[in-house]
Amino acid sequence: MVTREDVENIALLSKLFVPEEELDGLTKSMQEIIDFADAIAAAPASDGGFDNINNLSNVFREDEVVPSYPSEEILKNAPEQAEDHFLVRNRE
Amino acid sequence: MGTISKIHEMLTSKQVSCKELTESYLRGIESDNTALNAYVCVTGDEALKTAEAVDKKIAAGESIGLLEGVPMALKDNMSTKGVLTTCCSKILTGYKPIYDAAVWELLKAQNAVMLGKTNMDEFAMGSSCETSYFGGAANPVDIDHVAGGSSGGSASAVGGNLAAYTLGSDTGGSIRQPASFCGVVGLKPTYGAVSRYGLIAYGSSLDQIGPITKSVEDAALVFDAIAKPDKRDSTSLGAKEDTYSKLDNDIKGLKIGIAREYIDGVRDDVKEAVLAAAKVYESLGAEIVYFDLPVLKFALPVYYIIACAEASSNLGRYDGIRYGYKTAHYNGTHDMICRTRSEGFGEEVKRRILLGTYVLSAGYYDAYYKKATDLRGTIIRAFNNAFENCDVILAPTVPMTAFEKGHAVSDPIETYLTDICTVPVNIAGLPGVSVPCGFNAKGMPIGMQLIGKSFGEATILNAAYKYQQAAPEKFKDTKWGVKL
Repeated sequence: MVTREDVENIALLSKLFVPEEELDGLTKSMQEIIDFADAIAAAPASDGGFDNINNLSNVFREDEVVPSYPSEEILKNAPEQAEDHFLVRNRE
Repeated sequence: MGTISKIHEMLTSKQVSCKELTESYLRGIESDNTALNAYVCVTGDEALKTAEAVDKKIAAGESIGLLEGVPMALKDNMSTKGVLTTCCSKILTGYKPIYDAAVWELLKAQNAVMLGKTNMDEFAMGSSCETSYFGGAANPVDIDHVAGGSSGGSASAVGGNLAAYTLGSDTGGSIRQPASFCGVVGLKPTYGAVSRYGLIAYGSSLDQIGPITKSVEDAALVFDAIAKPDKRDSTSLGAKEDTYSKLDNDIKGLKIGIAREYIDGVRDDVKEAVLAAAKVYESLGAEIVYFDLPVLKFALPVYYIIACAEASSNLGRYDGIRYGYKTAHYNGTHDMICRTRSEGFGEEVKRRILLGTYVLSAGYYDAYYKKATDLRGTIIRAFNNAFENCDVILAPTVPMTAFEKGHAVSDPIETYLTDICTVPVNIAGLPGVSVPCGFNAKGMPIGMQLIGKSFGEATILNAAYKYQQAAPEKFKDTKWGVKL
């Protein structure tokens, strides 16, 4: 059972605001999707689990410094920047 | 039809210069994109610059590669240096990547002429292209119908002759479903065959990039060009073998499996078209074997749980600090991030982030996420067993044909159900190609899907090519765009 409180809590974890007037509709829609997902409860118990698609195993490499992108390039997309850094004002 | 090989022949025989060809595509986009909405960004100047370079090579008597000078487009979730890449979301407004996606590096190095970026469901989340911030792409067969999704713009552009080929991405059917709806060919490669470096992530364990083309040969050509190993994607392996050279192999004795669960429950016209294709295969000497794959009934919830869980993590990076949209008024950093995300993401994206966060949260993780990943293993093993008795699986691509605009938006669950035939392939990481195999009473295309073993692209493309040769009438051109 998905409650309004669940949706509010999940929204907070997701860093999303849900306006009060949308909360009931979203709770209902989430409940419908969760009911749909509940179909897997009827599935047989695990027959071996899952690791990764192509049975890849981890490969280690030397931790070497390689050239990366210049910071002025990276900062080009920032909504605000100052002195070669991303700028985050406390309020606007 | 403006296939890659035809364009190559026209360029090398100097029937047309690359510049003239590119200009005709750009004119086509100018006149028809209002109706099709396939492109969200057109890069005419860059395209013409590349075209001129190709013309210089041809004039100097140098040989050119098959993809060289061929006008194409990329889905808007593939990074293109200095060119807007928005995933058709408000939250990536104005974002211009500072590097190219691996697939674009490979094609650019072959002088591919990029005409622009194509429309898609926001962050590839949707089955109709209608969750795009720029409005949905129209189906070139009938513009009152959707192009499908999420790579709707890529399929619409190819079907509408506004690009010779495009690249799409497929997380749960996003290449194959729009290809089926628009009557074109769409290949979702094996997970790991094509590098995902520079593909803006949705569900990282499911996402793959692949071609949308007018013919099976074109799909093979483009696949061979982009399926290369890449150190920057730790899951990338490249292709096992070349596919283009094996297209014309004899398919006598090829065992084609049909899972009853794939056929039951799809609409009658779709079922008839797919079974008629099976008859064509029998006439070509292939053997049809029926089998059961009962675990398929869990594929859709498994897919939505895994995809949304991964999306909720992948989309955590949009915070209004480093790129894209940022809210105008706020009080404190938490408030700024929440407002930015709430204003920047569309309804379907928010719904999937919430669902993903829910299935990963304490108390629900075991029942949903863990159970879904366990079932993923079960589905993979069921496919492996099936492939002990057949070489290729034949299935419908979508249980229905393209729906009318506005239909998908009304009911999320009903929309999710359209993915029922495509998602198992992503869950198991297998290759699948959608090929046109008929039309419904209203003339809307029907697609069939050939599913192969892991890294078995050559086998499914070979089977698809043989069908295309036997039933060329299923590959119909539309009235839009460039006529060659």
